[in-house]
Amino acid sequence: MTESSSAPGVRVRDLTVVYKTPAGELPALAGVSLTLAPGTITGLVGESGSGKSTLAFSLLNAVQPPGRRSAGSVEIDGIGDVSQLAGDDLRRVRGRQVGYVFQAAQNSLNPLKTIGKQLLDLGRSHEVADLPALVRDARALLGRMGLDGGRVLDSYQHELSGGMRQRVGIMLALVLNAHLVVLDEPTTALDMITQATILRIVQEVHRERGLTTLIVTHDMGVAAEVTDSIAVMYGGRVVEHGPTTAVLGSPRHPYTQGLIRAIPRLSGDIAEARALPGRPPTLGTMPAQGCVFRERCPERREICDSVDPAPVAVGDRRVACHAVEPAPASARVRKECA
Amino acid sequence: MKTVVRRLAGHLARGAAMIWVVTTISFVIIRTIPGDPVRAQYEKLIEQGMAPDQAERATAALYGFLPKGSLWDQYVGYLNGLIHLDLGQSLSTPGTPVATLIGSAAKWTILPVLGGTLLSFLLGVTLGVYAAIKRSGRLGDALAISGSLLHGVPQYVIGLLVMAVFTTLWPILPAGGPVDIMYDPGFNAPYIVSLVEHATLPVLTYALAGYGGWILAMKSSVATVLGDDFILAAELRGLRRGILFRYLARNAILPLFTILALSLGMLFGGAIFIETIFNYPGLGLLLVNSIGARDYALMGGTFLVITVAVVVANIAADLLYAVIDPRVRTGGAA
Ligand SMILES: Nc1ncnc2c1ncn2[C@@H]1O[C@H](COP(=O)(O)OP(=O)(O)OP(=O)(O)O)[C@@H](O)[C@H]1O
Ligand SMILES: [Mg+2]
Repeated sequence: MTESSSAPGVRVRDLTVVYKTPAGELPALAGVSLTLAPGTITGLVGESGSGKSTLAFSLLNAVQPPGRRSAGSVEIDGIGDVSQLAGDDLRRVRGRQVGYVFQAAQNSLNPLKTIGKQLLDLGRSHEVADLPALVRDARALLGRMGLDGGRVLDSYQHELSGGMRQRVGIMLALVLNAHLVVLDEPTTALDMITQATILRIVQEVHRERGLTTLIVTHDMGVAAEVTDSIAVMYGGRVVEHGPTTAVLGSPRHPYTQGLIRAIPRLSGDIAEARALPGRPPTLGTMPAQGCVFRERCPERREICDSVDPAPVAVGDRRVACHAVEPAPASARVRKECA
Repeated sequence: MKTVVRRLAGHLARGAAMIWVVTTISFVIIRTIPGDPVRAQYEKLIEQGMAPDQAERATAALYGFLPKGSLWDQYVGYLNGLIHLDLGQSLSTPGTPVATLIGSAAKWTILPVLGGTLLSFLLGVTLGVYAAIKRSGRLGDALAISGSLLHGVPQYVIGLLVMAVFTTLWPILPAGGPVDIMYDPGFNAPYIVSLVEHATLPVLTYALAGYGGWILAMKSSVATVLGDDFILAAELRGLRRGILFRYLARNAILPLFTILALSLGMLFGGAIFIETIFNYPGLGLLLVNSIGARDYALMGGTFLVITVAVVVANIAADLLYAVIDPRVRTGGAA
């Protein structure tokens, strides 16, 4: 059933996605470049509205109207540039080669059909020859996620809890053995313990099958637990991307620093947790030029008003900030800013 | 299954209540309209020299209840007659039971109304899906506009237009009546052809009158479902177009069954105009004639049958709903 046994790499280049609004077409992604290394789990974090889902949809060429890709490409190994695919070619990639767990996975099921019938629809759509084996795989996956597979397959959506539906969504994304899996906030409807269990299973399956995985999440804790690398988004840009331990241990971008300080669990003491001042920009309030983070930035300088910082390599990560020098000397950066 | 039975029981109870209300109202009307027709008939018979008890029996036979005794006794007698399907005697066609008249008229209404409704439902629903999916296309626009226009035209105007077009401008169909009397009734080709020819215009009128509403309702329902997350999710799982379409159509058609039940009820009312225009001997024409002749027993009976038809249509639509929607079938919350 597998098409290629190796995990694909993904290269997003200069991707710009705009949404049509009454004020014209405004960019939700402004020239985003992001590489997912084969076989890794990447966490995509950032405040609400930063463009995480838009980027996730772009991996399937599925940005919904009134949005559209206006520039850039999304290369996936073994598939090519998905942003050039259309029609049946695109359909066959979706589900079969790229598994997708919808942000609102609780509502991702047809209310009029049992889960089992929807599973068969999925199998038939992708010409799966051995449907009984597909059902067995589905049951096994559901079982691993702590559900009674047989019962769930016989159920309608309304007979399942929000968390059960979310796990069904994950099962449907994994059951066809896709080698690239995109999970958009896959555990939001789950309690902490179930959430941890599900993420561990996603991680297990990821390792067993040799997948490349992108997990979109609000939750830095989730990202810390399961990811190999973290990409931080702000205002339609990836402002910092690097190995998880490095990004969380010594964040370089002032936004990442603020984000981590705002989380009591990671900064250790609830008294020390400080909310980031100000609010993230919306499409309409995004500054037309300069750094999109400058209004909230403690390290703002003159150049930030006029030049949008390009991401540059800093050690093993990429950071987009005028206050960060390409050299890994964070002490000097601080001094300069003061 | 249990919930279906429980729903059915609920419907039957509500339907019975509705029928009871209608019969009671028609009883009260017949008893209280100025110049009480029952009393008048009774007195007319007395004047004609009939003995009081004989006149009483004759009047009772006519209306299905006794003009004498307390109002309550008369009411009970009337209901008792109804339970035995005794609707009284027609006044305008003396000596004929109301039930017989209604029985022979019913088929001329039920078949064209059902045929026309199903035709417009199927057509409107199919084209409505198309109009919703091709929202920005020219044909999609044209369909939606045709729906809005037709929806705004009253049924009897459509009837008159259809009549003008197909019997005068382009006379290919008969203008009225149920069938040409020159053919022998029975299962023979000329008779059936004549039947179909005569039914075409009424059915076409029902269909055109309903079509606009269906296309608009289906279009908006499809647009709603298209915006639902599960359709996008199904698309992102790479489901085939045909399967996606079935997901969409089945979910979108669901709310229309409720409207279907209501519209069937409305159509039986609309039959009054259509059957008058086409001189078609159904319940609507029977009702109009009974009003003209002040034939109150016939009026009451016709009301009753129309009410029963509405109740039955409602139950049928609801059962259909339950077959399609598992949330209803198992009694779960949506
Ligand atoms: N259909 C749309 N029309 C107009 N603007 C949109 C639309 N969808 C998203 N946007 C805008 O694009 C930006 C990015 O949205 P996106 O859904 O990608 O954010 P997100 O990071 O996934 O947020 P969340 O964490 O809340 O899911 C937001 O400013 C949002 O307002
Ligand atoms: Mg999102």
